[in-house]
Amino acid sequence: MFERFTERARTVVIAAQKQARERGADAIRSEHLLAALFDVPDNLAVTVLAALGVDRDLVESEIGKLRPDGRPTPDAEALATLGIDLDEVRRQVEEAFGPGALDRPRAASSRGWGGHIRFDRTAKKVLELGLREALLLKHNYIGTEHILLGMLHPATGAAHDMLVSHGVRQDATRILVEELVRGRRAG
Amino acid sequence: MTDATKVAAAASSRDPAVGLAAVASLRGLLESLEELQVTNARAQGWSWQQIADVLRVSRQAVHKKYRRFGF
Repeated sequence: MFERFTERARTVVIAAQKQARERGADAIRSEHLLAALFDVPDNLAVTVLAALGVDRDLVESEIGKLRPDGRPTPDAEALATLGIDLDEVRRQVEEAFGPGALDRPRAASSRGWGGHIRFDRTAKKVLELGLREALLLKHNYIGTEHILLGMLHPATGAAHDMLVSHGVRQDATRILVEELVRGRRAG
Repeated sequence: MTDATKVAAAASSRDPAVGLAAVASLRGLLESLEELQVTNARAQGWSWQQIADVLRVSRQAVHKKYRRFGF
C-alpha cells in the first residue's frame, strides 16, 4: 500500500507515530495523523486546511480535549443532567486508587515504551480511505491531500469529528484539492 | 429563580443534544471505571474468568478488550 505514497505522505505517517508517542498514546489514531500533517513542511493538505480556516493551534486545542487513550474527557455538565456528580465520583475513585486514577489511561501507564506502536482502526481507515480518494480523483499517487480527504469520513473518528466541527466538508474539500492539484500541474 | 432554573433544566432534558451528550459522557465514565476495576482485579490475581463472571460478560470478551494492556 505504501509504495504509492509520496515522500511527504510517508513522512506524515512517520510523524504520526512520533505524535502518538509524545502524547503517551497506546496507539496511532486518526488525530495523530491530522496533527502530523502540520509537521511536514510545504504540503498540500496544510494549504487546503489553511484555506478552510484550520491551523495547527486549532488541532492542538482539539486534541487537548482528548485523553491520551483518545476518549473525550468526561463532561461534568452532561453527567450532572443525569444527577451524577463527576467530582464526587473522582473523589471516591481517588480515595481508593490514588490521585488521577480516573483520568489516567491504564494502557499507557501499564506498558513499557520504545516498542512497536500500532495503528488503530481509525488511523488505518484514514489511510485506506485516502487510497480510495486518490483512485476516485484518478491520481496515481497518494499524497498528503488524499490523507486529509481520508479523514473526512465518520469512520475515522476523532480527526473527522474535529474537522467537521470546524466546518470542513468532504465535498468542498475534494473540489479544493482538485483545483490545487490542477493548478500545480499547470504551473 | 430556583423554579425558573428547574423549568429550564426540565425543558432542556427533552433536547436530544443534551440527552445524547449525557449518555456519551456516561459511557466514557463507565469505560474508565471498568478499565480501572479490571486492572485492579488482575493486579490482585483474579483470572479472566472470575472478572468476566462478575462483569456478566464472556471470558473471551473481557480478555479481548483488555489483553493489549499487557497483563
